[in-house]
Amino acid sequence: MNFAVISDNLLYFMVGSWPNGPIGGAALTVLLSLASALASAVLGLALGIALSQSKGWPGMALRTVLGFLRAVPVLMLIFWIYFLLPVVFGLDVPGVGAVTVALALIGGAYLAHAVSAGIDSLPRGQSEAARALGLGRWDALRLVILPQALPRMAPSFVNQWVALIKDTSLAYVIGVSELSFVATQVSNRVMVYPAEIYLFVAAVYYILCMIVEVGIGRAAARYRIRPA
Amino acid sequence: MALLVAACGGREGPDDRLAEIREAGVLKVAAFDSNPPFGFVDPETRRIAGLDVDYAQALADRLGVRLEVVPTNPANRIPLLTSGKVDLVLANFTITEERARQVDFSIPYFASGQQFIARKGVLTSPEQLNGLRIGVDKGTVNEINLRDKYPQATLIAYDDTPFAFTALRNGNVEAISQDGPKLIGVLAHAPNADEFEIPPFVISQDLIGVGVPKGQAALKAFVDQTLTELEASGEAQRIYDRSFGPQTRTPLARTYRIGQPAGAGASNLAPAA
Amino acid sequence: MFDGFLAPRYLAWLLEGFGVTLTLSALTSVVALGLGFILCMARLSPVRLVAAGAGLWLSAFRNTPLLVQLFFWYFGVSALLPENWTGWLNASHGDFAFGLGWPSFEFLAGFVGLTLYSAAFMAEEYRAGINGVPGGQILAGRALGLGSGVIWRRIILPQAARNALPPLAGQVMNVVKNSSLTMAIGLAELSYASRQVETETFRAFEAFGAATLLYILAVAAIEAASQVLIARDPLRRAARP
Repeated sequence: MNFAVISDNLLYFMVGSWPNGPIGGAALTVLLSLASALASAVLGLALGIALSQSKGWPGMALRTVLGFLRAVPVLMLIFWIYFLLPVVFGLDVPGVGAVTVALALIGGAYLAHAVSAGIDSLPRGQSEAARALGLGRWDALRLVILPQALPRMAPSFVNQWVALIKDTSLAYVIGVSELSFVATQVSNRVMVYPAEIYLFVAAVYYILCMIVEVGIGRAAARYRIRPA
Repeated sequence: MALLVAACGGREGPDDRLAEIREAGVLKVAAFDSNPPFGFVDPETRRIAGLDVDYAQALADRLGVRLEVVPTNPANRIPLLTSGKVDLVLANFTITEERARQVDFSIPYFASGQQFIARKGVLTSPEQLNGLRIGVDKGTVNEINLRDKYPQATLIAYDDTPFAFTALRNGNVEAISQDGPKLIGVLAHAPNADEFEIPPFVISQDLIGVGVPKGQAALKAFVDQTLTELEASGEAQRIYDRSFGPQTRTPLARTYRIGQPAGAGASNLAPAA
Repeated sequence: MFDGFLAPRYLAWLLEGFGVTLTLSALTSVVALGLGFILCMARLSPVRLVAAGAGLWLSAFRNTPLLVQLFFWYFGVSALLPENWTGWLNASHGDFAFGLGWPSFEFLAGFVGLTLYSAAFMAEEYRAGINGVPGGQILAGRALGLGSGVIWRRIILPQAARNALPPLAGQVMNVVKNSSLTMAIGLAELSYASRQVETETFRAFEAFGAATLLYILAVAAIEAASQVLIARDPLRRAARP
């Protein structure tokens, strides 16, 4: 195997056309991952709290929507947002935006369940005691429940963010110039080194995922959490 | 999420796209990124270049706006245009009646015929096609043509020509089908090109035009006029020579000129060497 | 947008694609469930080298995107294989059972890629299931003088299987969803078919809508089946008043 093709095109793999064009390659993968990780965390937290607090019809409706988001392939959701939203609502969504929204929605749906489970896993006595002390519902959440529940949910967040990093590769399908897309362009041009190129690309993703797993794993250890 | 939505903005509706382009200061064009010499990534500049991009640049220059090239594969050309994500499509876009229901076309600026690449000696006449595994590109007229004319052939559709050619080199298919000039471009860059050949027969004649959103009469008129002017000034010939001229890796005699009626001197392809 | 639904010909394409999705997912799930178990046992092996090797394998397949793995199996491996192998793999080898015919290279590569990817995740679910069995059970077994094999077969595995059933069902649902990625290597499954239909009819809404509906049906069916299996669990029945 000849890995010269990697070193010859390393800059393109790492940053795409930048600065001669928009940012791409591994750098764009990182940016997409960060954006959707943040969005999905916020969404998951909000929806998870809503899920654990709600009963009756609103709860069922929310559960149905979240269930839909977890049943649909990410690819299909990306197609919907990128191709059909403009036709239906007249909103023009750039590729990067479509992928971020799709990943945020799906990541948020999974995290909502994790957050809700984390909150529900606390002994009822905690929320009862908080109320007995006169704390309102939201204060009880903010000061008593969440600080205890969040560390328990940390492994779920880590798993979801690792999944997000991998799922950014699906942006390939709508022509976003992230790492998989850029690598395929190079492979198409040189033609004879697909194995080397895709091994290299896999290695880059692996490193990114490991950074999240190990980096956050260490932070979690400081809270003395046992990983799931 | 709200910020994202606000930043996206919306399109007013079928207003004058030409005026919108001038106002925005940018012309968005969909072009291929893996099909030399029509559209490919230049390793030096790390940007998309090629014959189609040269025409797009000429259009943008006439308008006095910046050119933004959006990479595409064949299947995404129409969706990108109809959803308003690009203003024009310059990506070896064959003019067909079926497509003309969804998009408008400019006058043709290139002509070619559908041909094949196969290992030497495998394919000598069109009748053999019915028994072969043939690689085609998703979303191209080539695919639809083959399915209509040679229904017994086994067709495997790929995202783009390089995928199909890789499959050919690995033995996953026995032949691939595309426009003749594109196939010449493929072989020019292939390392073991001498194992393959382009059989000299053609199974259809195609005219290639610029894809314009439906109903945008002013934009279409502008494109038509620019193309005609480019031919008259000799710029079209210069653009052609840059990609298919005698000094390039894909020398090919030019037999179609912009403004020629359809059918006259149709195929741009001299018999394959 | 909704002026008449898709012509029967296009519906047929979608259903054929759905058939490929189901076939691929079923075969993959069966093999991955088995391979995942083997990998899990390797990961828990007392032999350091085996455990470390399995750990590395699992880490590699779980932390790289499925799309890249599929590209590797389809383009990378077929470029590395000797030429007569690829010819053999592509040539038709007569009919399989049920007149299915020899699978295409796209199917083979998709099956290999999807199975290896999914097996790694299933291995982790098995491991979690095993770790979820209370340690006291094993000690009690030893105290009763039971041998290692018996402890594994009668005490650990049945409980581990019970623990792991819901997450494993989730992984099978993931197999169905992940099968959509094989469209990138040319396998004519449901997503590919929906794109084909959309290209020819320009009816994006109907094409994608029908495909999404079919995916949801498949996933819901798996969920329902797993609920039935859980409800039938004898321990659960015994625990009911």
